[in-house]
Amino acid sequence: MSQPAPIRPPIRAAWQMRIDPRPFALPLVAIGLAELLALRFVPTDSFSLAAPHQIAVDFVRLLVDGTFLSRTLETLGAALAGLALGGLLGLALGVALGLSEVLDRVTSMTVEALRPVPPTALIPLSLLVFGFGLTMEIAIVAFTTIWPVLVLSRAAVRETEPRLMEVAKVMRMSFGRRLTRIVIPGAIPRIFVAFRLAAAIALIVAVTVEIVANPRGLGYGMMLSSQSLRPAASFAFLVWIAIVGWAFNQTLILLERRLFGDLSRAAR
Amino acid sequence: MSVALASDYSPEIAMDPVIHFSNVSLAIGGRHILKDINLDIARGEFVAIVGPSGCGKTTLLRLLAGLASPSSGSILLDGTPVRSPRQNVAVVFQDYGKALLPWRTASGNIALALEAMNVPRHQWPDRVAELLTVMGLEIDGDKRPGEMSGGMQQRLQIARCLAQQPSVLLMDEPFGALDAITRQVLQDEVLALAERTGMAVFFVTHDLEEAIYLGDRVVALSANPGRVARTFPVDLPQPRHQLTTREHPTFLELRHDLFSFIKGGAAK
Amino acid sequence: MRVLWFLASLGFTACMVALWQLASATGMASQIFLPAPSRVWEALMAGFSSGDMPAKLGATTARVFAGWALASLLGVALGALIGVSSRARIYIAPSLEFLRPLPVSALVRIFIGLLGYSEQMVLVVIAFGAFWPCLLSTIYGFSAVEPRLYEVSSVLGLSRWSMIREIALPSALPDIVAGMRVGLTVSLILVVVAEILGSREGIGYNILLAQRSFKSADLFAGIILLGMIGYASAMAINWVESRLVRWR
Repeated sequence: MSQPAPIRPPIRAAWQMRIDPRPFALPLVAIGLAELLALRFVPTDSFSLAAPHQIAVDFVRLLVDGTFLSRTLETLGAALAGLALGGLLGLALGVALGLSEVLDRVTSMTVEALRPVPPTALIPLSLLVFGFGLTMEIAIVAFTTIWPVLVLSRAAVRETEPRLMEVAKVMRMSFGRRLTRIVIPGAIPRIFVAFRLAAAIALIVAVTVEIVANPRGLGYGMMLSSQSLRPAASFAFLVWIAIVGWAFNQTLILLERRLFGDLSRAAR
Repeated sequence: MSVALASDYSPEIAMDPVIHFSNVSLAIGGRHILKDINLDIARGEFVAIVGPSGCGKTTLLRLLAGLASPSSGSILLDGTPVRSPRQNVAVVFQDYGKALLPWRTASGNIALALEAMNVPRHQWPDRVAELLTVMGLEIDGDKRPGEMSGGMQQRLQIARCLAQQPSVLLMDEPFGALDAITRQVLQDEVLALAERTGMAVFFVTHDLEEAIYLGDRVVALSANPGRVARTFPVDLPQPRHQLTTREHPTFLELRHDLFSFIKGGAAK
Repeated sequence: MRVLWFLASLGFTACMVALWQLASATGMASQIFLPAPSRVWEALMAGFSSGDMPAKLGATTARVFAGWALASLLGVALGALIGVSSRARIYIAPSLEFLRPLPVSALVRIFIGLLGYSEQMVLVVIAFGAFWPCLLSTIYGFSAVEPRLYEVSSVLGLSRWSMIREIALPSALPDIVAGMRVGLTVSLILVVVAEILGSREGIGYNILLAQRSFKSADLFAGIILLGMIGYASAMAINWVESRLVRWR
């Protein structure tokens, strides 16, 4: 018998880092339950329901053959283009309304009247004006994203640290300088948050428009599968949509922390 | 170390008043905050303002800063009435955390003052370096306020004020939020600065001993409405010293008088 | 003073409408895409006088409120239970975060599959959609209660139920209301989707029909009505909030 193996401390590689397993408990149980129920109650050729394992198969297939990717790019493209358009408009208006009390009060009724219009109500209008396609979707996303960006950037401008405004006054700074050196730099972190939230909305609205009316993107991919009586593929799209939405949000949150982590801790 | 500031100031203290409060009153919504304030401050004089909470001493400072307007009476600075902030009047606020730009470095914060005064850009590095050195922050130029202690931040604010090359420095309870030792160090620095530059200093504080230690004169206000209740000339030798001055018989006498005055009934 | 600002705002809005009228009348904007306000008004009047609009307006509004109310009730109740228990939060919250960005419209087909083209389907869709923002905001609100207050409550010996009612609930109320607001927005969005995909009579479906027959005045009329439902309900929530959250 050779001598016993030397005792070495366990080396932790990055991939061995401990992940808290508890958040995964519920989803795994839910999936397991769904699988059991499906095996018992759902026929394999069902028109509207599918078992998790069938969904998984179609998921991998759609991922590998690039369908997910191409459809995702379509949806993201529309969402981001709409966000750019609506966001910039909302930002310009929000900053203007934040700076000018008069402008804010005079336009308040118009803004409050336009804001509650649900984007889905505009789908038929957009169809009428633009027909099917990219433009129609961008238009609706743009209209929807104006409002959250407007409201939040207005608030960001309004909530400029009043002491800093006094400092600017004591230094007799011109309006332009006050705006570019104090108001805007101070508001940037919150404006980023506004865009982050609007981006999430943009994605949801884009997919919704595709589901209801537009023949492009992830929403359409899902509806197409469902209409061709392939429920597993339809559910696979659903799962993929959830993943894309989640990943998109997480990316933006990480970006925000990266850019503004130290500042948002330092300020206020 | 060359202190370029010194050469810009006249070394002798003239007896002609540089600041002249003439029957100044301020009423808001029927309530008199300040009533019939008559006060003269000579060039280069260090005046400490004390009084119970709510007596209007901060308001008085803000009137002098041009951040507020009196309801009646006038404040003359160098012969002309103060209607808005003046180039040669600088203000040090108590809440330094809110008065500094959190997203700029120390150098950047000082540069803000230079920018406001339209100082040509190529002069900035030298002036900033000089001011940082004067306030003992020469190695901290690249730090952000969030990375600096309270004392350092307050020094930074003072350095920024000095960039304006003020003939009058207004200080609103500047050391109230600092620990005792830092407070004493900064007291002496402010005294030295005032001596070197010939600035007049309008120093609001609730700390009676600090007022006597620093001032050439202590002006005690009474509250409701704020009035000049009594002026105490401070006949103590210069330069002041934290230990010996505070044990000087005149200091103790003044301390006794001032405490009794404030406590006794000037407060009402 | 307030009245003046109200009038100024009203004036501005009136100017906007006038500009709209001008754009349509002069033909700068196509009558099909941007019907004149006068025509939209006529369409509205016609719809109301014929009794058609009120019925549809009533149906749509009822769906929105019923679905939203149900969702809010369930969302707040469940959210309270999950929110106060840090254990529950660890297990459940991540899954909820994952579900948050999912557009509920994606599930309408499934609900149609389960419940058919029925009124229940519309209700369930709306309630399902409005449930999540309510739930998430409520969980957040309850989880963000000042921990010191929990300590106070345990030192005072308050029962769990009392603690929730007296301390956690008032503290979480602003977040709960915020969640309910978002829930209302979602309800409005979904009522249109549910009506269109489910072919249920209502303002949303009306708009679709108007689009198909190129009746743009009716289309705009429907959009305006939906906007008004949104506006009125937002005002209602504001009023309720100002009553409940006076201490903030």
